[in-house]
Amino acid sequence: MVHALDEIRRTLKPNGVLIDIRPVEENWPVEVNASTGYQVAGRLTDVPIALADDQAAFHAMREVESKGWFFKEKEGEFSYFYYWDTPSEMKDFMDEEWEGFEKLDESVFSAVKSAWTMANADARVRVRVKMLITKWISGKINNIAEEDENKNPA
Amino acid sequence: MTLKDPEGSERKYLHKFADFAGQRILEIGCGEGRLTWKYAAASALTVGFDSDHDALRIARADAPHDMQKNVHFAEASARDIPFANESFDIAILAWSL
Repeated sequence: MVHALDEIRRTLKPNGVLIDIRPVEENWPVEVNASTGYQVAGRLTDVPIALADDQAAFHAMREVESKGWFFKEKEGEFSYFYYWDTPSEMKDFMDEEWEGFEKLDESVFSAVKSAWTMANADARVRVRVKMLITKWISGKINNIAEEDENKNPA
Repeated sequence: MTLKDPEGSERKYLHKFADFAGQRILEIGCGEGRLTWKYAAASALTVGFDSDHDALRIARADAPHDMQKNVHFAEASARDIPFANESFDIAILAWSL
C-alpha cells in the first residue's frame, strides 16, 4: 500500500493533489426512510477483515505523511446512501455484494422488516455508509541521487 | 434494485475538495467508472486504471459520448503505474486504499 502511494506521488506534478475517498467501517445504520422522515432500525455488524482493511489504509497514510510524501490539507465526512424498495432486496444485495465485508444480523433484519411494514407506503430501506474524503498535497520527490547525497555529504 | 447515492453527496464532496477543470487526472481503482463520470467532463485528460479487466470493459462501454475524447482506461496495478513522472495534476483513490 505504501509502495503504491509512492508510485502515485511519482506520477503527480510537484504539489499535486491526491484525493482519497472511501467508506469507513462504523456499524453502518440501517434506516427506514419515508416522506415523513426516517428511523434507525438497527446497525450492520463490522467484520474483522473490513476493519483490518481500514486500519491498514489509515496506517499507510500515516506512514507516507510521516515520510513527508504527502501533507494533509483537508478532510471531511459525509453519508453515502444505498436504497432498496424492500428489506428483502437489501438482504439479497448484501448477500451478493457485501458478503464477508458487512454482516446483517437476523435480529436487525427482523427489526428492519417490522419498521418497514409499519411505515408509510412510500417507505424504502437504506444503509447510511460513512464516507471519508481527504485532500493530500504531494511532497517533494527525492530521487536516489539526492538521497545518496544526503546520506554521504561531500 | 439498488439505488446508490441519489442525493449526489459523493459528487458534491469531490467537487468541493478539488477543481477538476482543465486538469490531468489519474484515477486509481476506477472499476466500472462509476466515480469517473462524476468529475471527468471538465478535465483536460482523465486516465482511470484498474486491474479488473471485466470492470474496465464496462467502463469503456459506458463512456458518455462527450467524454470519449478526454477519458481513457488502462489495465494496470497501483504497484507499478505505467505513466511517466509528474504526468498528472490530481490523483484519485476511488474507494481503493
